[in-house]
Amino acid sequence: MTALLAARDLARWYGPVVGLVDVSLELEPGVIGLLGPNGAGKSTFLKLVAGEIRPSRGTIEVLGRNPFANRAHFAETGFVPQQDALYNDMSGRDFVAFLLRLSGHSAREARDRAAQALERVGLADAMFRPTRGYSRGMRQRTKIAQAIAHTPKLLVADEPLAGLDPIARRGIVELMLELARDGTSILVSSHVLHEVEELTHNVLLLHRGRVLAQGQVPEIRALLSRHPRKVEIRARDARALARAVLDLPGVGSLRISADGTSLGVETHDLEGFLAALPRTAAAVRAGIRSLETPDAGLEAVFEYLVS
Amino acid sequence: MPGLATSTWLLFRTQLSRMWWSRRALACLALAAAAPVMAWLVAAFGQATGVEIATNLGWLLLLQVIVPLLALVSGSAVVTEEIEDRTISYLFSRPIPRASVLLGRWLAALLFVSTLLAVSSLATVLLASRSAAPGAAVGSGIAVPLLEAALLGGAVYSAIFAAAGVFFRHPMIVGLGYAFAIEGFLANLPGRNQALTVQYYLRSIVGTTGSDAWREVEGFELSRFDSAASALVTLLVVLVFFLAAASWRITRREFVLGA
Repeated sequence: MTALLAARDLARWYGPVVGLVDVSLELEPGVIGLLGPNGAGKSTFLKLVAGEIRPSRGTIEVLGRNPFANRAHFAETGFVPQQDALYNDMSGRDFVAFLLRLSGHSAREARDRAAQALERVGLADAMFRPTRGYSRGMRQRTKIAQAIAHTPKLLVADEPLAGLDPIARRGIVELMLELARDGTSILVSSHVLHEVEELTHNVLLLHRGRVLAQGQVPEIRALLSRHPRKVEIRARDARALARAVLDLPGVGSLRISADGTSLGVETHDLEGFLAALPRTAAAVRAGIRSLETPDAGLEAVFEYLVS
Repeated sequence: MPGLATSTWLLFRTQLSRMWWSRRALACLALAAAAPVMAWLVAAFGQATGVEIATNLGWLLLLQVIVPLLALVSGSAVVTEEIEDRTISYLFSRPIPRASVLLGRWLAALLFVSTLLAVSSLATVLLASRSAAPGAAVGSGIAVPLLEAALLGGAVYSAIFAAAGVFFRHPMIVGLGYAFAIEGFLANLPGRNQALTVQYYLRSIVGTTGSDAWREVEGFELSRFDSAASALVTLLVVLVFFLAAASWRITRREFVLGA
């Protein structure tokens, strides 16, 4: 089977800024999640795959071809760019139909396919309105529609779920799963693990332009659970609360501020800790005023992994 | 996969339908209206004859200022607009020859600019001819060369500025510098340096095919001219050269867009 994608010593920089460095990998057809915090190099990698930019060093082949400015590659690829940009004076249907004409479809076929694609992303009612009046989520769905309307073999989607409400998000996830079942390979990026997890267990972790790991989501979950998580609590009586939370699950270390009103906790079982905290705080009348988990994002996990 | 002609036609048609109601189009309309408005004002309230108004405004305002400016505003946007709007990703991820993006959109800009310049030139002549001052009638020896030069100038300048949009990040600044600093300087130097400017060839067409009244306009009296045929060929060569260079460049260049 031809690899979906093969990269050798792939690097891309923008002047002095490194976007991607020393990436060598092979990906098989299927759904692959590209995971990493902001600035990890996800968009750069996807632009290289989509053929929008060329490598500064190394090589990349997608479905056996160099993708940059390659018309045969574009005929088989759909690209959802990250930027929130559409032809604002056009209706959603006209916009998608215009791009389908550029993909080689006849006027009638382009109109029909555009309407079908917009229906699939849930924009049947809005497709004749100018896109300038679309909400962020509708614009995002229009971007997805233009990328799937020509039935590509590979869908490259840069943060396709960003800006979507939960119902629209569910719809797009189901659409992507349906496309995958029909044989479309999907390369999708996100900085939210559970978003990617809904689509695939096959993920690529990027951090600071490098591939940190390539594997299955359960392995990432295991890494996450080993990572101690911080919880910052402001309370009327932080000292009493500190004594009480010592016995809660996974608590590793505690830190009380000098004025006794805030408490920093490190725990290996964040969910268990948060579940038990209200009852514990009530029992000692600690009077919790606020609670934050400052390192809940992927960024902290990645920092932990690279350290 | 659509070929160059098909994709150029699709892009031309779409761009043409989209461009008329943009802010850029309004700016172009305002520019194009400047010469006829000025002609009307001078004819209504000044002492100059219709011929003097038409030739002076035709050369000093329309051909030297409005033609390059109009071409700059619409020509520099041919590719740059898609980059600034960050929509070029959609076009460059389609299986079309990349040059068709330049050519299709430039043809739309050309038609737009040509329409405005044709109306502007003819309206300028028409309104100038309403002057009450006694003098010769404003005839085809004034109107036709002015129209020809305006249309040719619009085509050549818009091709140059469209190419600037492919080669430079800020084509408007580059274009302004070229049109008014470099051309403005060279076109007014004595000797053959003038032949390095578009203005020289436009002046040649007007000077050799127009009526003698053009010779009275500042800048014409001491000039040597190329023949109209030679000027026409030179302008067409310049136009084709810039379009070819820009097509070559856009095929190879990557456009890095931010989120």
